[in-house]
Amino acid sequence: MEANSKAHAAAPPFMQRAPRRAVSPRILTDRSFRAAMGLTAFFAVWQALTSLGVIDAFLLPSPAAVAGAMWDMALDGSLWVHLGASLQRVAVGFALACVVGMALGLMCGWWRGVADFVRPVVEALRPIPPLAWIPITILWFGLGDAASYFLVFLGAVFPAFVATYTAVRGLDRNQMNAALCLGATPWQLFTDVLIPASLPIILPGLRIALGVGWMCVVTAELIAAQTGLGYLIQQSRMLFQINNVVAGMVAIGLVGFAMSAVLERIERRVNAWAPSERN
Amino acid sequence: MAANTALKTPAPPPGTPQAQPADIQIDIRNLGKVYGGTSSDTMVVALDGVDLRIRRGEFISLLGPSGCGKSTLLGIVAGFQSASSGTLLQNGRPIVKPDPSRTVVFQDYALFGWMTVQQNVEFGLKAKGMAKKERAEIARSLIDMVRLTGFEEKYPHQISGGMKQRAAIARALAPDPDILLMDEPFGALDAQTRVLLQEEIARISSEAGKTVIFVTHGIDEAVFLADRVVVMSPRPGRVREEVTVPLPRPRTAEMRSDPWFVSTVNDLWETLKPEWQKGE
Repeated sequence: MEANSKAHAAAPPFMQRAPRRAVSPRILTDRSFRAAMGLTAFFAVWQALTSLGVIDAFLLPSPAAVAGAMWDMALDGSLWVHLGASLQRVAVGFALACVVGMALGLMCGWWRGVADFVRPVVEALRPIPPLAWIPITILWFGLGDAASYFLVFLGAVFPAFVATYTAVRGLDRNQMNAALCLGATPWQLFTDVLIPASLPIILPGLRIALGVGWMCVVTAELIAAQTGLGYLIQQSRMLFQINNVVAGMVAIGLVGFAMSAVLERIERRVNAWAPSERN
Repeated sequence: MAANTALKTPAPPPGTPQAQPADIQIDIRNLGKVYGGTSSDTMVVALDGVDLRIRRGEFISLLGPSGCGKSTLLGIVAGFQSASSGTLLQNGRPIVKPDPSRTVVFQDYALFGWMTVQQNVEFGLKAKGMAKKERAEIARSLIDMVRLTGFEEKYPHQISGGMKQRAAIARALAPDPDILLMDEPFGALDAQTRVLLQEEIARISSEAGKTVIFVTHGIDEAVFLADRVVVMSPRPGRVREEVTVPLPRPRTAEMRSDPWFVSTVNDLWETLKPEWQKGE
């Protein structure tokens, strides 16, 4: 301790604040507090830049103006209609992607032969961005929900597949053998061993898949829908309502952030036993 | 555990061609295992002409340097992999797949990390379709036997390596197997914990009256625990010699200083030294 105080005496001025920080270490080390601080700072800088005139308010409205626009849309209900439409689309597309991606990943992970056939196809389709699928999607499904479902599905199915495949491939051979020699039925092997052992890798993959799906739904709505946050942005642009455009963007960001935070919570609970989730 | 007594008394295999003494439980004849391709330069002979008969209730140590195929042999007896040649019988019937009459304790524990100690031990009982209350009771008595009482609700990552292996032993004993297969079970533990667990396994195996096949590369451990030490030699893996241990059971710590024990361990070390050096 004495060596410490000597070090402080000799330390440059900015380091001498360290003892004072020790008085309230809890709040400063609290992770959600830090997250709130980061966001607040971001909006504060943005507000300062716009209200000082560094950035033309026509090019980027101030956070206050955006909040006002959002508030108005919340009051007249249009925000909720668009948000609801987007959420419903991402839910359907994501659910489809989970079913297909996980089933395929499971089969490829379990049977080498299946993987040899399926993986090249998947790996060749995976690099095609959802945006490039839009023309053919409209051709197939027209303008409407189905097109959005499909685009969300395309965005989310690959991360879901890769995560499941990786998880099943990486299963501990000895754990499987242990279960088998203890007399596990195929069903018990699946529900009590394979699934829980895979979740630490599958769940983060699904979180990424949902994030991609959320981006895809907005992309789809920019072009191929009559409702949704993407449509709101597109429509506001045509009406030169820049405040509403940015309000739509902010809504997308906040909802995506919230979805990811909720899923991370769930992950931590479910995977509390897994090495990577400890500490 | 009464439900399992049927497994303990071997139905004399009706009309089996091999005439064998009734107390031979595992009969390994001319067993071979070859890995890899068909050409002679790509294939590896892991086991060659292994002959071994194991009596009911016998404690066998499979001793040898790494690469001698002792773990492969255990995996084949467990039913995890199949032999390339030869015959392998349990109570006169061929072993084709894993079965709860032969449970395994692994070097890396292979506990289910998402289950508590209690749930891990109950796994094999659940597989049998046993009612919840009954299996909880059996699991508790086994957890008591391996001295883990108080840790039932802990997860594997919350307990030490030695405790994990105790839990894994309780889990392997739960289905009341005829044969306990242990694959270098104390290899990952520190020296002190290893000695303590050796004494525990000496006690437990006498109490439970199981046939045990114990794979190890520790000479003193092999001699301390076994009724018979089967020494294997590498490339290709085969049985090199067998040493019958006359010490009474259950084994206790003071037997480590028994003159016979000390000289046998030394003799084994002298005979095995060249092979160990070759394997390094």
